[in-house]
Amino acid sequence: MASISANGTGQDPVSLFEGHRRQMIRDRMVVNITLLALFLAFLAWSVWISRFTPERLAAGLPRIFEYFGSVMPSLQWDVLFESRNEAGRFPPGSVGFWYNDFWKYLTLIWETILMALTATLIATGLAVILSFLAARNTTPAPWVGVAARRFLEFCRGVPEILFALILVFAVGIGPLAGVIAIVIHATGALGKLFSEVVENASMRPVDGIKAVGGDWFEQMRYGILPQVLPNYTSYALWRFEINVRASAVVGFVGAGGIGAELSHVISFFSDDRVTAVLLLIVLTVTAIDLLSERLRHALIGKEALK
Amino acid sequence: MLEFKGLTKQFNSTVAVKPATFTIPDGQMVGIIGRSGAGKSTLLRMINRLNEPSAGQMLFQGREITALKGRDLREWRNECAMVFQQFNLVGRLNVITNVMSGRLFHHGFLSSMAGVFSEKERAFAIRALDRLGMAHTALQQTDTLSGGQMQRVAIARALVQEPRIMLADEPIASLDPLNAKVVMDALRAINQQDGLTVVCNLHTLDTARQYCDRIIGMQDGVIVFDGTPKELTDKAAREIYGAEAEEAFSEALTSTALRPGAVAPAASEARVVN
Amino acid sequence: MNTLAFAAITEADISAVRKRHPKAFGNPLVTALKLGSWAFIIVYLAWSLHLFEVGKLFNASDRAWQLISRMLVWRDMETWQYANIYRGIAQTIAMAFLGTLLGTIFALMLAFFAARNTMPGGVIRHAVRRLLDVFRGIDSVVWGLVFVRAVGLGPLAGVLAIWVSDMGNLAKLYSEAIENIDRKQVEGVRATGADTSRIIRYGYLPQILPVFISLSLYSFESSTRSATILGLVGAGGIGMIIIERFRAGLFDQVAFVVLNVLVVIAVIDWGSGLIRKRFIGERGH
Repeated sequence: MASISANGTGQDPVSLFEGHRRQMIRDRMVVNITLLALFLAFLAWSVWISRFTPERLAAGLPRIFEYFGSVMPSLQWDVLFESRNEAGRFPPGSVGFWYNDFWKYLTLIWETILMALTATLIATGLAVILSFLAARNTTPAPWVGVAARRFLEFCRGVPEILFALILVFAVGIGPLAGVIAIVIHATGALGKLFSEVVENASMRPVDGIKAVGGDWFEQMRYGILPQVLPNYTSYALWRFEINVRASAVVGFVGAGGIGAELSHVISFFSDDRVTAVLLLIVLTVTAIDLLSERLRHALIGKEALK
Repeated sequence: MLEFKGLTKQFNSTVAVKPATFTIPDGQMVGIIGRSGAGKSTLLRMINRLNEPSAGQMLFQGREITALKGRDLREWRNECAMVFQQFNLVGRLNVITNVMSGRLFHHGFLSSMAGVFSEKERAFAIRALDRLGMAHTALQQTDTLSGGQMQRVAIARALVQEPRIMLADEPIASLDPLNAKVVMDALRAINQQDGLTVVCNLHTLDTARQYCDRIIGMQDGVIVFDGTPKELTDKAAREIYGAEAEEAFSEALTSTALRPGAVAPAASEARVVN
Repeated sequence: MNTLAFAAITEADISAVRKRHPKAFGNPLVTALKLGSWAFIIVYLAWSLHLFEVGKLFNASDRAWQLISRMLVWRDMETWQYANIYRGIAQTIAMAFLGTLLGTIFALMLAFFAARNTMPGGVIRHAVRRLLDVFRGIDSVVWGLVFVRAVGLGPLAGVLAIWVSDMGNLAKLYSEAIENIDRKQVEGVRATGADTSRIIRYGYLPQILPVFISLSLYSFESSTRSATILGLVGAGGIGMIIIERFRAGLFDQVAFVVLNVLVVIAVIDWGSGLIRKRFIGERGH
């Protein structure tokens, strides 16, 4: 056969292949064993530094179950949907008893959603402008692009709740601090995603608008914006889902929404009020996720048809 | 009159356009030919300063174009419209908005950001589209059109700029012969009826011979030929095209159907294109 | 062809064009709808900002400037107890790592119960999915607070919080990966006469393993971020140091710690990117 003489060594192709294969397996073994050793060392170090020892876990686990047992509502079928009795109180074991503060929670959930919505709208507006400044292909000057990218990195690097902590100190307790905190973080996150979309957009329409004598703003408005708008909308909706979660948490440091109540309930009571608030939050978050997912799919579906 | 005085373009170490000195009188239709990479596109894009010249001067009616900045530069770009090989329209906007974008220079910041166009502008845009037989597509989304239709929309956009010069960068390179003819006829008509100067980059020799008053041949950034189509002998053409000569000549063979004025563009309508 | 000039367009021309192309002059309904939705957004923003007492922003300038200046001017740097800070950062990384690891292990099991093609039984699948919704729907900070209440202050609560929320996230993503596998490859392996264990080993694993590893690494990155703030509610790590020093008014130290955390997170993102590349090649997920 030609191939035997062609390789010049006189070996047959099967043993050559086997030799290569053994060598490859050996090489990969060395790398894999090193990675495994690193992984185990990292694991041991983690266990040591966070004092996550089996006996601590063993001591902790029963307490977790005990705690979750104490915060579960005690519902009884026979009185589950009972309304207020003559004394104006719900009987113990009914949903009404469990959700005694229902309207208070609902007001706070409403505030939480409004906070997320306002923050998403403002952050989207800011991110649109910043994304054109930050994208490498549309930035008016290289130093503006670098400055905008660093600024966005800082904004999304610091978590909302940390901004909230600082802002509560600056502007006082209340939802305003939370909204601003979420605006800053979401602007950073959206600005990065948006500028990546812009970097993938076609520059031909921009050339076209430039050639008719349009300035930078007109080049962005007519050349880029129509191309990226569907993606922007989809990202903004997705960010809204995340912001709802965030605005439920910024209240922990006093920045408005349901968080303050949740933190209060968890820290001072260990009864069914904890599950009452948590359940409401989970339902809200899930409902908004579903709604926004529908909208996004409708948007993308419409795009796919075109 | 457009005067070039040693206009040069250098990209890092390579010189794309070596010092070019020539004059284009008003109302002339000029075809620039040469193989790909000869610097045709760079030369054309230097006229409306989409590419910045590295050295030299360019004057229009005695005004120094190469020194313009900011609003003056944009005013100049508005005065010399450009048609691109890939049309460079905004695909996701409708046709009429694309055409009206040709008037953006006359808009203030707020009205252009809000996308508000006057009725007069709408009527003007429709008239321009009608002239190219495209008025019926006015409300379609632009990226649903065929290449030939898009190029006619692009010419309509250039027309609403009310330019004094029309630049066309390989306007027919992405089109089939029939649409290429429609587009070239339209450019010729604009040149003859409106008296506009048209400067057009062309890859195929035949088209340049048939449509242009004057042909400029470029090779490796140097203008090697400047004269009337008659003066351009086959020998001279072969020299300009070099290795690509066979291609340019064979394309010329296939595009013999392209004869100016055989069909009036307004009437051609070109429903065939879809 | 007729030449035309913009200045020469008269009212009569406009109405003539309008007669032939009435729709080109914009649909009043669409225009009204556009204007209306913009007006709605602006009114909503004004109303909601009023509700959130936006005026406080303008009264706060003194405090804000004071805060910013104290963050930027670093004083008494030799007394900052650096060992404490870096131990906190180390603890944060360790918490994120352990939490993600435990979350991954449990998510592997749950994912097969939540995927449509491996768990045809609708009742169990839906029950598992709703449970995952609860794990995911509650932010890890909330879980942190709950576990601090249950097992006390310290990193144990943090690990548990990350474990639970990562388990929810990863199990959902894993189950989607399992549902999206290419049936043809599995059938190809089955066609060779392989038994069930071999079908899983050669049909399923090569497809889902790179995705799983990549998802877990992403999850580790995001857990590092959430681990930094778990300390704000007492669940161990650098967050506890941040909030202690913030409460004590040591804003310069807070700024220093936050900067350090940002650098560490950037390094972790970079490192995990390298590992991802090794396991799944350049194509990414």
